Amino acid sequence: MHNTDPAAFAPVAEPVIRVAGLAKEYRVFDKPEGLAASVRALFHRTSRVVEAVKGVDLTVGRGEFVALLGPNGAGKTTLLKLLSGIITPTRGTASVLGHVPWERADDFRRRFALVMGQRNQLWWDLPAAESFRLHQEIYRIDPARFEKTRDELVDLLGVRKLILQPVRELSLGERMKLELVAALLHEPEVLFLDEPTIGLDVVAQHTIHEFLRDVQRRRWMTVVLTTHYMKDVAALCERVVVITRGDILYDGSLAEIVDRFTTHKIVTLDFDEAPDHSMIERFGFPCEFRGPQVVLRIDRSRIADVLPGILGSAGVRDVSVEDVPLEEIVAELFRSDARAAAVAEASR
Amino acid sequence: MARYFAIFLTFARACLVRDMTFRANFILECLTSLGWMSMNLAFYLLVFTFTSEIGKGTGWSKEPFFAFVATGLIINSVVQAFFMPSAEELTEMVRTGGLDAVLVQPLDAQFLLSMHRVDFSALANGAVGVGLLAWAMSRMDSTPPAVAWLLYPLLLLCGVAILYGLVIMLAAATILMGRNQSLYDFWFYLTNFSRYPAEIYSGPWGGPLRMICTFVIPILLVVNVPARVIAQPFTGESWVGVACAVIAAVVALVVSRLVFQRALARYRSASS
Amino acid sequence: MSGSLEAVRPAGPLQGLRTWWTMLKICLEERLVYRGDFALGTLMRFLPIVTQVFLWTAVFGATSRGDIAGYTRNDIVAYYLLTMLTRAFSSMPGLASGIARSVRDGSVKKFLIQPVDYVSFLLAARVAHKLVYYAVAAIPFALVFFLCRSYFPPVPDATTIAAFLLSLALSFLLGFFMEVTLGMLGFWFMEVSSIVFGYMLVQYLLSGHMFPIDLLKGTPTGIAGVSLADVVHWLPFEYTAYFSSAVWLGKVKGAQLVSSLAIEAGWVVVMAVACRVAWWRGTRRYSAFGG
Repeated sequence: MHNTDPAAFAPVAEPVIRVAGLAKEYRVFDKPEGLAASVRALFHRTSRVVEAVKGVDLTVGRGEFVALLGPNGAGKTTLLKLLSGIITPTRGTASVLGHVPWERADDFRRRFALVMGQRNQLWWDLPAAESFRLHQEIYRIDPARFEKTRDELVDLLGVRKLILQPVRELSLGERMKLELVAALLHEPEVLFLDEPTIGLDVVAQHTIHEFLRDVQRRRWMTVVLTTHYMKDVAALCERVVVITRGDILYDGSLAEIVDRFTTHKIVTLDFDEAPDHSMIERFGFPCEFRGPQVVLRIDRSRIADVLPGILGSAGVRDVSVEDVPLEEIVAELFRSDARAAAVAEASR
Repeated sequence: MARYFAIFLTFARACLVRDMTFRANFILECLTSLGWMSMNLAFYLLVFTFTSEIGKGTGWSKEPFFAFVATGLIINSVVQAFFMPSAEELTEMVRTGGLDAVLVQPLDAQFLLSMHRVDFSALANGAVGVGLLAWAMSRMDSTPPAVAWLLYPLLLLCGVAILYGLVIMLAAATILMGRNQSLYDFWFYLTNFSRYPAEIYSGPWGGPLRMICTFVIPILLVVNVPARVIAQPFTGESWVGVACAVIAAVVALVVSRLVFQRALARYRSASS
Repeated sequence: MSGSLEAVRPAGPLQGLRTWWTMLKICLEERLVYRGDFALGTLMRFLPIVTQVFLWTAVFGATSRGDIAGYTRNDIVAYYLLTMLTRAFSSMPGLASGIARSVRDGSVKKFLIQPVDYVSFLLAARVAHKLVYYAVAAIPFALVFFLCRSYFPPVPDATTIAAFLLSLALSFLLGFFMEVTLGMLGFWFMEVSSIVFGYMLVQYLLSGHMFPIDLLKGTPTGIAGVSLADVVHWLPFEYTAYFSSAVWLGKVKGAQLVSSLAIEAGWVVVMAVACRVAWWRGTRRYSAFGG
């Protein structure tokens, strides 16, 4: 399922999203601490410029399912807001479906949808069914088509019983599902999702993952999803764009991240009984002893050579060779980037 | 456009259903606004026991003055019912990111942000205003000409338009500043100047104040022009007031829209 | 600032002072965060008076009298300015509703358990709140009063000033106890807000906020020789705004001044007792329901 051929990511159809040198800066005023500072702040406020997005380039082809992965404050939501036209950039250009997003043309807005996790877009006081009807009016959806799409989506997510209740009475998971229905009623070509599974329980997350995969495939939608959960990425996307501190750190397939960013694999040995430590340590690799189980980190280049020797050790009952978990790789990516930034900051 | 009207009706209907569900609260809100209003009416009645006119030679004796008050009640209740509730919610929407959702929809943002909520209880004052107007008109010595009756509803609309323009400007400020500057306080202070006939603003301080409130922020045109047309003798000069009100209404709508669009273009959006 | 501190200890005077100083600093900082609100907000509150001044000038202009119910045009302007001051002492925004809310959501329970008197605590919090407000509002107030000094009669004599200050202190206590008693009704009624609203309405009309109560001297009540002003005189409402202002302006003198102060003090005692009784009976009822 994972294709490691880089050529597979040259957009087959026309590029739906094209971003060049896009940047967004904010001026942030410093908050005064303490009474004296508060008084001083009346007359003079210090401020600094925050670069939320620093000159980003990105191209997404039709039908792609792309994840923007990054820690909090990385700029991924800002990037999404730029692409959906909510805010205007400081520099750079972007084109989505042939439109400049921040011009907010009605033709453009009718062709995409945005769903933000934990933020409500359905009208709070209305039952979801009314919100849907409002949607139909606003997006000018043909009535017959609207009913068919609505019924299809509502049944797929199993929320038919909920649509007559006022939205504010529903749980977060239920609301999220209804938001997704509302977003897809007008059959958008592009779907932007901002942390859609945040705060949801595992079952809800799973349902939504399945739903998104299914719907995206059937309608050939282009989907851009921001998240800081590896689970979302692993379940849904082939392509990952890693963003930290406003910059794109990596743009490519998920599988390639493993290849590119790790040097070792994890070998787990199960023994009949707790082995002699020195017997394992003499191989010279970092190892962790957990009773009858030993976990080693072995350089990938040397696995083929070393593994037979280790397996020959007395009392080995079972072995597994795995990649470093994605979470760990990505977390390390973020950490090392933050460290590099701190070093750069200190050397200035 | 018919589409916008249909959408507005959906919003209005939803608000009405909600008000009828929480009926006790709705009645309480009606009584609240009626309560404050009747205190003020009592005050005016008291004032008229000491004088027969507000301002010497201005023509604002008891019945014309109450026609003035009635006109103010009608115009303000329309604004309070249809535009203020949405505008007040704007600070909350900016804070929670609800504004983002609005900007993404293929619909005019100004329309959505100023009209998605209706406060029907605010119409109670307007209803009383109509009654008060009928009472005042029936007790006046002279009756206004037919043209005055025709102009009156138009001028009421102009008054609503001018106030709407002001609401939109304040909403634009809310979007730009993001912070919780209480819209309601500002509104109260601003419209407070238009509670009484413009003639009271005379003298070295009053004159300039009257000018500012007529030509810069034309709140004095809102109630004064329609009230004068219907409660004071209608002369050729009245047409000047009518023209001013209509021009001010158009300017208010156009300028406020431009300002609002600028504010949206510079919207920062709450951080995630 | 709501009236809830997490750890309240029965304190010695020095600790109490330090707590107050911290509360004060926090209040001030909070105020300063709203830069725009800072001075501008206080000045803005005087704006409605501008309209009233013009209105009364027009009223006087249309009549041929020199005064209405003993007030000249200048007197009336001075009166409105003074009521801004007197109401700064007696108005307790959010006090009644805050108490009702803490009864509703149960946060009043900690005062049933801890050896702190709820009413005294509220009083201390309000005093702190008011002090911060006066500190912040003093300059705008002084500015306005200075600019408008020509409307005022000459500064009254020492006795009148003393009576004025006494009436201000009493009006603070009166406003406080009235609102606390109202809030205590939350022990019996779910929706105290309607009752509070009714109180606000009556206050608005009869406290002198809108006009000097003397204007009601000509309003008959059906009882011979008794005007509406006389009736209001015995009610507590006029003492929250009208009375102190009238004292400063010299409209209440001699024996009447003394008797009015007595009535005001009497109402303070009545309301203080009322809120005590309400607290005692309310908490008994509350505990009976298991909170």
